[in-house]
Amino acid sequence: MKILLAGEGGQGVQLAAETLAKAAFLEGKSATLIPNFGVEQRGGVSLAFVIIEAAGRQILYPKFSQADVAAIFCDRALIRAKAHLGPKTKVIYGPAMAGQPATTLPPKAWNIFVLKRILEATNIVKKATVWQVLAEKLKVQFAADPHLQRMDQEALQ
Amino acid sequence: MRQFLMGNEVLARAAFDAGAKIMFGYPITPTTEVLATWAKFCHEDKSLQYLQTEDEMAAGFGVCGSVLAGVPAFTATAGPGTILMQDPLSMAEAMRLPMVCFIGQRGGPSTGTVIYSQQELTMTAFGGNGEGYRLVYAPCGLTELYQLTLKAFAHAWQFRFPTFILYDGYLGKMKGEVEIRNTQYVIRNTQPILTGNMRNCYNLEEEAYALNMHHAADWQKMASQVAAFELSGPKSPTLVVAAGSVAAAAKEAGVYLFRPITIWPFPEKDLRHIAQEVQKIIILESSLGQLARLVKSVLSGEKTKMETVGKPALGFTPEEVAKIYAA
Amino acid sequence: MQPNFPRCYKISSKPHKFCPGCGYGIILKNLGRVIDEEKLAPHFTFLTDIGCNLLAWDFFDLPTAQTHHGRTVPTAVGFKMARPNETLVCLVGDGGGYAIGLQNLIHACLRNTAITVILVNNTNYGMTGGQLSPTTLANQITDSTPFGKKDNLAGKMFTGPEFLRKLAWPKAYLARASSDRPALLKKYLQKAIAAQAAGNFSLVEVISACPLNWKTGAEQTISRLKALEKSFAIGEF
Repeated sequence: MKILLAGEGGQGVQLAAETLAKAAFLEGKSATLIPNFGVEQRGGVSLAFVIIEAAGRQILYPKFSQADVAAIFCDRALIRAKAHLGPKTKVIYGPAMAGQPATTLPPKAWNIFVLKRILEATNIVKKATVWQVLAEKLKVQFAADPHLQRMDQEALQ
Repeated sequence: MRQFLMGNEVLARAAFDAGAKIMFGYPITPTTEVLATWAKFCHEDKSLQYLQTEDEMAAGFGVCGSVLAGVPAFTATAGPGTILMQDPLSMAEAMRLPMVCFIGQRGGPSTGTVIYSQQELTMTAFGGNGEGYRLVYAPCGLTELYQLTLKAFAHAWQFRFPTFILYDGYLGKMKGEVEIRNTQYVIRNTQPILTGNMRNCYNLEEEAYALNMHHAADWQKMASQVAAFELSGPKSPTLVVAAGSVAAAAKEAGVYLFRPITIWPFPEKDLRHIAQEVQKIIILESSLGQLARLVKSVLSGEKTKMETVGKPALGFTPEEVAKIYAA
Repeated sequence: MQPNFPRCYKISSKPHKFCPGCGYGIILKNLGRVIDEEKLAPHFTFLTDIGCNLLAWDFFDLPTAQTHHGRTVPTAVGFKMARPNETLVCLVGDGGGYAIGLQNLIHACLRNTAITVILVNNTNYGMTGGQLSPTTLANQITDSTPFGKKDNLAGKMFTGPEFLRKLAWPKAYLARASSDRPALLKKYLQKAIAAQAAGNFSLVEVISACPLNWKTGAEQTISRLKALEKSFAIGEF
């Protein structure tokens, strides 16, 4: 399954993508991930290509032409992501996009909310595994800010 | 052991498993994680060292110094850094130093992009002011990246030519599962190389000629032992020739593929033999003909039709390869 | 409300691409003001190195060339020999200036080549992800010194203007400013350009904020920048 995540620097696109790929790996599946980046350290469009396959087949090439699922975090990223959208691509729009329904979650947790929607649309990995990876990745941040932990947890349910 | 790692992390890990002791490096994207990972290893294992130098030339000469002393060392660079690295690499070629270098190709020429290309092939194999007495491996996928790096160190010390892992920003920055397990390759012959009087400059033309012919003979002997390739996909009248990440996409696309595992020495007789049985060869590369030039010279005299699809600094997805193949 | 941009700004490249909180914006704005006030634009050439400074390649509506890492100064040397009446300003970082380009900087100073080098010192290699640089402080955590910089491995912290003063000709202008003191920065830039006009080498090192790689919030960034003045003395040398 080819999943594209596209947003802006600062929206947590890479964190969501890494969490997804690592969770797939922990469940014994084959997974690869590659970010798309330019010279700027911050800002600009941030893309991540995630490929998840059944166990046993090493994925050799991390990019793809057309995504099976695309999660778009902001309108600016949609322009870049368009090249990877096809008639069969399932598109998920994040809460920051124009016209999307409001959510009570704070923007800091929106990337996890989008991740949840990817999981619900694909059933590609279990929520529990995703939470396991997130809890490890954000160990320090969660310890410093328990509210963030609660919000991310809520976003995933 | 199955691990989830970034390509650059795999390189550092393989270097450690191979028995390397010192890394000299200069920050350059897309290789920076190699140095950062090795620096962390040094914190845990006091038998290891690293040095971030003032520039790539100092990094390369640092590697030369270490191997002269008999201690396995390596560096990692890309693009503009690979250019500067030619200074120490030429010395290593002349003086037969087991310098190991990871080249994370990025868009060229000049500063180019920090991302990807296959535009450093010619420079990696032939970049010095010599004949290219070098060994260049082009891995495909993360597990082969690990395995070939082990081989690179072992063969560098066995044959004493500068040895390379020619990879790129996609392989360096991708994360995926990789099998980390060293069962066979160890560096042998790690004794000091500098024991007598060594030089790299000569008074008479005849001396330089003799040196070149001597190195060339050794290089040929090595070539016959290390040149490697992989043939994959269902046999067909059309054969794709590609290396590294482009070959990775071609493998995913399932086309009939000849993949040089050693770019240099190129597996010449193998390709010539396989070329007899195909009608057309399509060379795919992320440059404008660096691989093609090599392939064409290897196949010179053969009647097989050859076509090149070259996209400098751009990758090929498996879908694109399939499309090109079908056309 | 229209932003108060210097006339020499290239509007189409704004907003610029530097990180939020980065010192480059302030440094370039003050350079822009000096260019406007001293009417330098007609004979002005701007050269950048590689690193975050390269993001200034289209910052001004003035001829600008990005060179190779550490090679901005030798490029400027050549340009100035070809066109002696041009005002030449180089924008380099602490890596391009004091590591890979140090040799070239020393020789331009020894020759008293009439150029102005603005050297932005944020104590790390910003664009490649925050590695050690010659101005990194002892024990500072960077991407390539994840457990703290040790002088015996990474070298003593380098103070450029002080070092160059020993090599420089009597009328060469060497100073250190801070992006946190814009008025003083502007004054030093003016004096550096004047020194160039009088036929001398000039360098203004500017200590500058890098919140992304320092991993500091707004308050910490400002206090860190102020604290850096203890290691990098503000003033003229």
